[in-house]
Amino acid sequence: MQGPLIESLARQGVSRRTFSKYCATLASMMALSPVAGQAMASALAAAPAATRRPSVIWLPFQECTGCTESITRSHSPTIEGMIFDMVSLDYQETLMAAAGFQAEEALHTAMKENQGKYLLIVDGSVPLALEGAYSCIAGRTNLELLKEASRGAAAIVAMGSCAAFGGLPHANPNPTGAVAVSDIIKDRPIVNVPGCPPIPVVMTGVLAHFITFGSLPELDALGRPKAFYGETIHDRCYRRPFYDQGKFAKTFDDEGARNGWCLFELGCKGPVTYNSCATTKWNAGTSWPVESGHGCLGCSEPDFWDAGGFYRALSVPAGPLQMVGAAAAVGVATGAAVSFLNRAKKRAAKAGHETTTLADLEK
Amino acid sequence: MKLDRIPIVSVPAPGRAAGLSGNAPVVLREIAQKVRRLVDANEASTIDLLAMPLTAADLEWLRESLGNGETHISLDAGGESRLDETSCPGVWWVTHHNGQGGVASAFIEVAVVPELVKAPIDDVAAGLERLDLLISDLG
Repeated sequence: MQGPLIESLARQGVSRRTFSKYCATLASMMALSPVAGQAMASALAAAPAATRRPSVIWLPFQECTGCTESITRSHSPTIEGMIFDMVSLDYQETLMAAAGFQAEEALHTAMKENQGKYLLIVDGSVPLALEGAYSCIAGRTNLELLKEASRGAAAIVAMGSCAAFGGLPHANPNPTGAVAVSDIIKDRPIVNVPGCPPIPVVMTGVLAHFITFGSLPELDALGRPKAFYGETIHDRCYRRPFYDQGKFAKTFDDEGARNGWCLFELGCKGPVTYNSCATTKWNAGTSWPVESGHGCLGCSEPDFWDAGGFYRALSVPAGPLQMVGAAAAVGVATGAAVSFLNRAKKRAAKAGHETTTLADLEK
Repeated sequence: MKLDRIPIVSVPAPGRAAGLSGNAPVVLREIAQKVRRLVDANEASTIDLLAMPLTAADLEWLRESLGNGETHISLDAGGESRLDETSCPGVWWVTHHNGQGGVASAFIEVAVVPELVKAPIDDVAAGLERLDLLISDLG
């Protein structure tokens, strides 16, 4: 294993064994075979030297900075951070020291010098109402900035649910007329990395894929990398066997909840949410929502905020992976009953946007 | 009708202990296949334990079934890694921890010696340079 990256890592005290271990874990998270981890280790190690780092421009629009927090405060210092050293982050309002005229100049210099080659990362949605007046930077609307920056971009990464699908600003009644990046830009490859916030390793994974295989990763119908969004939370959930056995928590403090049973009836959106929280976890692999006892909110799916309430059970259970004998019969019967019960609730939810009350939590 | 009134009865399969999903014996069969490949063709392979729907009880069952072998290796590389040979020689239970001590990934590696244990040849060369330096300092 040789190359500029591995030598640079070695100078920072990262051994080849540590790097091999990291790549094995990254491949596992990307649901690639263990063999792919070795291929990735060799390719990444030989990544271009620091003098030819690809330029990255990061534009923040209608957002809460949660995506930036997620990336920068994840695990530090780690190899993820070091892989980020392989790119030249030329513009990022929150992280850059420059401000005002200097910041804008850095942006335009980067765009000019790397015309057609830079990677554009966008977080936040783009407001279209009142001619875009709801969000402006340096006196220009987000719409104007996005159109200008996308013209010279090799590819665009829409970071977070707001940039990917409109997110919270897009929620009913959408006062600012917020839309996703893909609603505006049609002539550039766009990778959607949804999540509120998205998982940091997905970003590293996309970069690693770009450097390893020289292309963007394979995307699903919603433009998300299949490696991370190929399976539902439900399919990879460690509580999945309880679903198959028909064991559900019915309140947040009953015996089922204490036993760690399935949270489906408490509104878990795992069965319809494509993301990899169940395997990558959060906070340096400490835990993830279901592990800490709360159902999935479905934050990486379009319009999750308007999906009828976080604590309402889904009306149609997803097909179980495998069910046998009596447990299967009970599971199907439960599914049918839940479906019946939720029809009325769904109608009520459709009538208008509902706020979640304490009563919902104590259902 | 309230959700609470739906009669949910869990009927475990005969002989199945609490928390077991029934997926662990399948993994055991896959391990056997891979060991056969190692014996017949000297081909090493790996199973990603976190990529499968295994419960904590499944993993415990698997670990107990495989038992403890003679060799236990601990690596200190970006967090601790444990490579424990099971009672079936050539079958290694590999757990990688991150810098904070959490489990980052877990594998069953079927190999004579796990790949990660071998010193990378470039590191060996770097070590040689260091040795040469030490010797030159001797005067």
